[in-house]
Amino acid sequence: MFELTLQAVFSGLLSGAFYALIALGLALVFGTMKVINLAHGELILLAAYVAYTLESVAGWSPLASLPVALVVVGICAAGVYFLISRIKRDRELNSLILTFGLAIIITNGILMIWSADVRSTGGDWAHGAFVLGDSLFAMNAELLAAGVSVVLVVLLYLWLNHSWYGRAIRAVSSSSEAAKLMGVNPRQLELLSFIIAGVLATFAGVALYSAQTIAPELGHNLTITAFIITVLAGMGSISEVLVGGLLIGVIEALTVTYFSSSLRELSGFVLFLAVLLVLPSGLSGLKMKTRKAGPTGVSPGSSEKPARQKQLQHD
Amino acid sequence: MFKQLLLKATVVAALACMSATALAEEKTIKIGSQVPLTGGLARVGLDFLEGIQVAVKQANDDNEGQYQFELLTIDDETAPAKAVAAVEKLASQGVVALTGGYGSNIVGPASGAAHELGIPYITSGGMAVGLTQRGFKNFFRLSNLEGYSKAMAGLAKMVDADKVSIVYNNVESTTDLAEALERALDKAGIESVIHSYDGSTGNFTPLVNRIRLQDRPDVIAMVGYENDYIAILRAAKILKPDIKAIVGGWSLATAQMNSEFNDVVQGVAGTSMLPYPVHFSGGEAQRFAETFTELHDKTPDYIAQFSYVQTKLLIEAILRADKAGEITGESIAREMHKTDSETLIGRVTFDENGDNPHFANHIGQHQGDKVELVWPESAATAQMVLPGRPW
Repeated sequence: MFELTLQAVFSGLLSGAFYALIALGLALVFGTMKVINLAHGELILLAAYVAYTLESVAGWSPLASLPVALVVVGICAAGVYFLISRIKRDRELNSLILTFGLAIIITNGILMIWSADVRSTGGDWAHGAFVLGDSLFAMNAELLAAGVSVVLVVLLYLWLNHSWYGRAIRAVSSSSEAAKLMGVNPRQLELLSFIIAGVLATFAGVALYSAQTIAPELGHNLTITAFIITVLAGMGSISEVLVGGLLIGVIEALTVTYFSSSLRELSGFVLFLAVLLVLPSGLSGLKMKTRKAGPTGVSPGSSEKPARQKQLQHD
Repeated sequence: MFKQLLLKATVVAALACMSATALAEEKTIKIGSQVPLTGGLARVGLDFLEGIQVAVKQANDDNEGQYQFELLTIDDETAPAKAVAAVEKLASQGVVALTGGYGSNIVGPASGAAHELGIPYITSGGMAVGLTQRGFKNFFRLSNLEGYSKAMAGLAKMVDADKVSIVYNNVESTTDLAEALERALDKAGIESVIHSYDGSTGNFTPLVNRIRLQDRPDVIAMVGYENDYIAILRAAKILKPDIKAIVGGWSLATAQMNSEFNDVVQGVAGTSMLPYPVHFSGGEAQRFAETFTELHDKTPDYIAQFSYVQTKLLIEAILRADKAGEITGESIAREMHKTDSETLIGRVTFDENGDNPHFANHIGQHQGDKVELVWPESAATAQMVLPGRPW
């Protein structure tokens, strides 16, 4: 029983970290631009297929294909932003429709180029076993993906909080007009957000190809997973993306182990709804609730800016 | 006098020519095919269509000058609503019968629409039990769950299994097969434990670990689709449950799986009518293989074999219906019910529900870069390699 639970938690943590990696790019764009990119899953899939192509044609390992995949997906992400930037009114709603259409185009493009066959890396190392104490088992690729996810969450968090560009992106998210007055070009920064989202999607795609199988119809599921984790974490919250992913991963694994694998997805949704019922702002709301706030939402005596100017909560 | 005779002779000659022309006029018969060419079942759908195309080509070659069969194909995009729309469109284009469909959740609605339109529908891609329990007199199915479950249970018996863990995708057809397998195992005196999973599952480690630690079976039986099999096998390779064999349902013991995922499927068994590489000798089998290669520049697999047989039987029924007087939905269905043929997949007849009671599948095992038939003994091309697992 203990061994079963331990493996379930371990597998759940690895799956959850992978979910977080999938969601990171969507969370960034959602937080900075209030835009839900419904083609995010397809960008991840595109990266996976670039890795597949380079492996099958040139014998490159998935990791070696990263630079090429980064360029391809980065360009596509920039292209998606270019189209979104043409929207003049009701950007939040119209971008949903636009990116939904783009998702269909990308999916069918992938289908035409690579056909519907199921693909996966043939690399021995990726599917080799990692065994810890004869009780914990995982694929090498799963472990690597989880590690990469944690590293990227940390790097993204640090970048958003401690770099000029990161602060500028947060400023644009808070008030585009005010940011312009400070000499910030909102369009450039939104483009940067999208490209970085593309970079994150690339890592997710290569991880997906390494650890699982890929097929053209997967993009839709990836976007849904990313969206759930993003909303669960709370808009614009990066560190909570990892927490949300881990929570869902562990709940799903325990459900599969002790109840039924058919209830796996349901358990994730139940957790999602339960959290939102208690914390409508997502997991990031937990941090806000635990602070002793004054009338303006700022701790008394604090030099921090009022909460309404901090739409991007990264602490 | 002479002029009158000449005139009469001219008229008679003209009438004779017109009759000859009418007799020589080739009859065009439209057959419809609604298959998944995009979406989740696209790969199988393409294989399916290739087999259908072979049957149509052969029919045109054999009946040149008398009949021209025109195949109209519409992609159902692996979506039930699109499949219904495809059937309706094909009906509006004048097809006399339909061959195709893959996936019970798609075949069901599509054949329902065909039934409403009075068009016979034949498939080998819908296994759900309910499909032949609707009272449709114009629905025909070449293969059924009993043929698959019998084969999988036969393998379990062959390796002296006492307990089998069945892992199945929770869509209708795979659920039906899992339940049929459970019954077949029970009949063979073999204990079984069943585990369902959602089709979007990517990580099977918790499930396989549960099987390893709690079930402790002799055989793991997988009922799902290609991506499911790969994920389950990869998880099993990590956890290494102590089992005698792993066996799967459809789409596992195929050339595609052997060439794309050779290291993952070594030793794994699955249902298959044909070995790989396929060897056809003599008669219809060789002709099928040659025509297939001529059209598609590759060797056929069992999916194409099924769709070829179903389409050939349909065409034969249409020809009989025409010779009997007329080609209508009813007359074709009547002729289909009279079918009793020896085909590439064995004897085929259709009972009152449209099922083929003679269908019996085989089991193939991935051995190196081949798929060898290992069950039943009468069809075996090699001995089964044990343990039948990729570790």
